[in-house]
Amino acid sequence: MSAAPPRVEMRGICKRFGEVVALDRVDLEAAKGEIHALLGENGAGKTTIMNILSGLYRSDAGEIRVDGRPAPIRSPKDAIGFRIGMVHQHVELIGNFTALENILLGHEGTGWVLRAESQRGAVEEVASRYGLSVPLNERVKALPVGIQQKIEILKALYRGADILILDEPTTMLTPQEVDALFATIRKIAEGGLTVIFITHKIKEVLANSDRITVFRGGCRVGTVRRPEASRELLVQMMVGEREFPAGAGRPGAVASSSAGPPALSVRDLSLRNADIHLLKDVSFDVPAGAIVGLAGVSGNGQRELAEAIAGLLPVQAGEVTIRGRSVEKLTVAARIALGLVLIPQNRIDEGILPSLSLAENFVLGLHPYIFKRSGFFEQGTAHEMARIAIRDYNVLTRNERVPSAHLSGGNIQKVIVARAMALFRAIGGGILIANNPTRGLDIMAAAFVHARFREVREGGGGVLLISEDLDELCSICDRILVIHSGEILGGFDGPDYDVYRIGELMAGVRRRQP
Amino acid sequence: MSLGFVFDISLLQLTMVMMAPLIIACLGEIIIERSGILNVGIEGIVTVGSVAGFLGTFMMGSPVLGCLTAMMAGGILSLLLAYFAISMRANQIVVGLGIFVLGLGLSPLSYRLAVGVVQSPPQIKTLSGVPVPLLGNIPYVGEVLFRQNILVYLTYFLVAAVAFFLFKTPLGLRLRSCGENPRAADSLGINVTAMRYGACVVGGFFLGLAGAYLPLLITGTFTDNLVNGRGWLALMLVIFGRWMPLWAFLGALLFAYVDAFQFKVSSLPQMAKAVPPQFLLMLPYVFAMLVLVKVASGAEAPRALTRPYDRESRE
Repeated sequence: MSAAPPRVEMRGICKRFGEVVALDRVDLEAAKGEIHALLGENGAGKTTIMNILSGLYRSDAGEIRVDGRPAPIRSPKDAIGFRIGMVHQHVELIGNFTALENILLGHEGTGWVLRAESQRGAVEEVASRYGLSVPLNERVKALPVGIQQKIEILKALYRGADILILDEPTTMLTPQEVDALFATIRKIAEGGLTVIFITHKIKEVLANSDRITVFRGGCRVGTVRRPEASRELLVQMMVGEREFPAGAGRPGAVASSSAGPPALSVRDLSLRNADIHLLKDVSFDVPAGAIVGLAGVSGNGQRELAEAIAGLLPVQAGEVTIRGRSVEKLTVAARIALGLVLIPQNRIDEGILPSLSLAENFVLGLHPYIFKRSGFFEQGTAHEMARIAIRDYNVLTRNERVPSAHLSGGNIQKVIVARAMALFRAIGGGILIANNPTRGLDIMAAAFVHARFREVREGGGGVLLISEDLDELCSICDRILVIHSGEILGGFDGPDYDVYRIGELMAGVRRRQP
Repeated sequence: MSLGFVFDISLLQLTMVMMAPLIIACLGEIIIERSGILNVGIEGIVTVGSVAGFLGTFMMGSPVLGCLTAMMAGGILSLLLAYFAISMRANQIVVGLGIFVLGLGLSPLSYRLAVGVVQSPPQIKTLSGVPVPLLGNIPYVGEVLFRQNILVYLTYFLVAAVAFFLFKTPLGLRLRSCGENPRAADSLGINVTAMRYGACVVGGFFLGLAGAYLPLLITGTFTDNLVNGRGWLALMLVIFGRWMPLWAFLGALLFAYVDAFQFKVSSLPQMAKAVPPQFLLMLPYVFAMLVLVKVASGAEAPRALTRPYDRESRE
């Protein structure tokens, strides 16, 4: 480092959300003309600290300095004032506006009349300086995501950003677009700007950054210069030294699977959205009497895979069989009748009806099976079942009549898991697909849910457990598959897992094929 | 009856007279909806405008003061909508329907409180035409467009002004951004709440003025069903015009023409015998439905229409 103060300096940043400590006394600095990568797993705190820098969140403690001077940032407007611009993971543009209108919005120039044409020159000048050619007259919604992202970057640069933050900029891009993006980023940094980008992909970091700061569990693990960084070092920093609880919870042998057809079998499943492969030739089995884990950083196709199997998303190619029976062209209801139960990823949007009562939510989906005799909605039965679930799962609520939206996220999750388990029993289920079922649960509740999964296994059912928490998977799964960019990159048999190797695959590093 | 009747000058002149209140209300609604608020109370606000316009003129003896009274009334009622829809984040349909019923009840009440129950309803002098020199002498076109009352001329100006405001000024761009993606607008330092309040109040001025137009130019009196669905029609015209003033202007002309047509036809003795008057009265509304079914499919509303904005809801 030279004698000049760093462009950005963050000292002792703390942030909590309720009980959760998202950032614990984190320090970070980035220099002028530097491409600085923030690397870490989901929930490591890397996005949170950048949201603080860009004014979206306010830190609970800590200090920010820009060019050595204190920078009290309380809103996005303040951040713009300190020449900080952030491009979020999901672009925030106005689809019905042209690219030019989006770039000018809020910075239209002086006067009562919009002189977009006279501003156009200035925008084009910025664009050509960094090689960001975008069609300025097109409506944004008609443009591909890669172009939309360029518009976001241009928007920040046009506002005079000296510090450009990019949050997971490559998740939605094709490989060609990724290359172009990093070429642009390099050009921007060479122009004297500071670029900070957030990612979980080690390959990108090694290829495109000057310095790398690794986050784990809300703490900064360390900062390394790229020449000193290696894949192994970064994986180790990301994953840390993991201790696994021995004994009771350890997975058993998969021996019981040999008899009969697998609970779930997926063959060459492919799903595309325009040019992007969401799922690519996915094949795997979940044997009866086994828990199979799906590891991966979120957004790599886990959700699509679960929804494709459940029949919520139409697939382009591939075959899914449940207990030996093909489900091709079957409706969601027919798949459930075959023995499939899904715990969805997003509990609020897909899991519950917020304004209906807990009891009503609890019997949702169960209703064809429990009201069979009369065909009417039986309040008494519904309330009785809900009360039992509330007791068994220790759901914190006044009673079963309160609207489910009044519950905390963790308690809503308990209701959803309880309902899924009840449905599984009611239909004599074969395969349970659980997408992050323990997110937001405390340790006791999570252990309780895991015990239910083991019951399914003992009862001869299969569980596909999708989780971003590798510790969770290692503690309960008989086998772990790793998904990256919609592809299954590898499979590992328990009970002893090589977490470093799994971590590498999660980061998309392919090497020494077993 | 010859086909020439369809292009009769007096018919087209009447069309312009009928068009003005529709498009004024429609412009107000466009401004409000472009900010992301759906005002289904429009019929009630226009009704309140009509009674305020009438009473203001009747009591103060000045049509200008009458118009201002109506605009104030429209603005205040819209402010009420804005408070519930923006600050309280209430369901805009529910609030709008409440405003509609409120306006519908408030109007005859205030009329009877001010005038009392009388044998012959009080009259105000309707505004007479003011031909524009030179332009009004252009044969046919000039006679239709420029031998009108002053409010019709104002209408021409307002259509152009609102279109210019929305699409050619920074403020218009910001207003539209609030209706499309308030979060993006907020992140660029635009005050979404202030923009939406402003749009509601200014739009309310337009709605009140549209109401005042009816007694001032068409009837000279106030009757309970004076507005008679024109507010709803304006609401539909917003969709017809795809939230664009110039297209809405075209739509208003079309509907006003059908309205004027049925008025003229029903006044012809030979037609009155052949066609029941109810059928003719129905014509504009049937026409409205048919056209809307065709046009409304594919029309794209502001993305954030009816969605309250809450910065705190950020994850």
